Amino acid sequence: MISMNKVSKNYGSFQVLADCTTEVHKGEVIVVCGPSGSGKSTLIKCVNGLEPFQSGEIVVNGVSVGDPKTNLSKLRSTVGMVFQNFELFPHMSIIDNLAIAQIKVLGRSQDQAREKGSKLLERVGLAVQAEKYPGQLSGGQQQRVAIARALAMDPICMLFDEPTSALDPEMVNEVLDVMTELAQEGMTMMCVTHEMGFAKRVASRVIFMDQGRIVEDDSKDAFFEHPRSERAQQFLAKILHH
Amino acid sequence: MGYNWNWGVFLQPTSTGDDTYLGWMFYGFKVTIALSLSAWLIALALGAVVGVLRTVPNKWLSGFATAYVELFRNIPLLVQLFLWYFVMPELLPERMGDAFKQSNPFMQQFLASMVCLALFTSARVAEQVRSGINSLPPGQKNAGLAMGFTLAQTYRYVMLPMAVRLIVPPLTSEFLNIFKNSAVCSTIGLLELAAQGRQLVDYTAQPYESFIAVTLAYLVINIVVMFGMRWVEEHVRVPGYLGGK
Repeated sequence: MISMNKVSKNYGSFQVLADCTTEVHKGEVIVVCGPSGSGKSTLIKCVNGLEPFQSGEIVVNGVSVGDPKTNLSKLRSTVGMVFQNFELFPHMSIIDNLAIAQIKVLGRSQDQAREKGSKLLERVGLAVQAEKYPGQLSGGQQQRVAIARALAMDPICMLFDEPTSALDPEMVNEVLDVMTELAQEGMTMMCVTHEMGFAKRVASRVIFMDQGRIVEDDSKDAFFEHPRSERAQQFLAKILHH
Repeated sequence: MGYNWNWGVFLQPTSTGDDTYLGWMFYGFKVTIALSLSAWLIALALGAVVGVLRTVPNKWLSGFATAYVELFRNIPLLVQLFLWYFVMPELLPERMGDAFKQSNPFMQQFLASMVCLALFTSARVAEQVRSGINSLPPGQKNAGLAMGFTLAQTYRYVMLPMAVRLIVPPLTSEFLNIFKNSAVCSTIGLLELAAQGRQLVDYTAQPYESFIAVTLAYLVINIVVMFGMRWVEEHVRVPGYLGGK
């Protein structure tokens, strides 16, 4: 569903991504991890064209992202994305946050969009908050709304960019629960996260990045039990002991 | 002080006999309001467009917008007014220039003043709009784009609604400024409030009454604007955000 072939990106002489090649099949859950500055977020933002890249190719559902002729807006409307800082639209009520893109991008009617939005809010356990505004919700609630907002577009896959990093510790699980459920329903997902528990529970594969390179791309069992590279061993040693 | 206060002067008929001095003042008051409001509406529209252009990724468009802003905010208002009133008609194609010069003098003065104030203020509004857009969290734009909005839709539905709310307070100052700046237009003979005040002095030799009245009139205008903008601010406030409930 998502295939990357030798994707490279640099800011001047600084190499952000170097020859990244991987494949995400339908229904797979890929966890991308690595030290900060390793290019994980950049990689995931390249998938829906939010970050341009200089060479290589990314194909999402048969559409080449880097091709200047590609209608990026159309492509993005089929790829859900969840951000570290939620990025709900603060001037709209929760239900409008879920409805606006359905109406303006997919051409659904107001009623259809709100109905779909309500269903998804119910699913993430926030139906009662529909008429509130993002600023009135906790971080965990906002992130669940953000996931629901992405799902409202009926995406073919979902990208998560450190969805729990900005949350208070006690709110992490409510978001991970929603993501776990989604994974178990067969959604194709690419998640940048440091939540190794989540990775162990639902990941099909783990990609480990360092200095812009994909250092490991392996099944989760192989990654957690026998990481091949020294860098990944160090990384796991540091984060798993806490 | 030996000054003869005479507040009754406003009710006296003018020496031309067609009105009272209060009538003159009121006429100037109306011109000031009409001029400032029409210029303000144009300035808002132009400023919004130029401010947005300053933030778009296309370097030609943002370059044009930058040049526009620097041009109109770096030339003194008075010089701009003279350029619009005395120089511009000569630079227009001959027929347009002639048509302008043959229209009635009030229209000439009013149009030149309106265009001048509008463009001058639009450059300042553009800067406010730009700063509003730039002060949004950078992720908002990405969030809009990631939903499948085009760049234009992202501006329309995501960035501008918040940016505009953020800049209501500084826009209030610009709105107040345009009324105050409009007094400059008396220099090309437009009989707005300040000019009527001076004319009153010439005709009645009662400068204190005249300028006290002018001062109060400007104050009234600006207090109304301030309360109006405060009302706007309160009504666009976002719940849970920036002092909203």
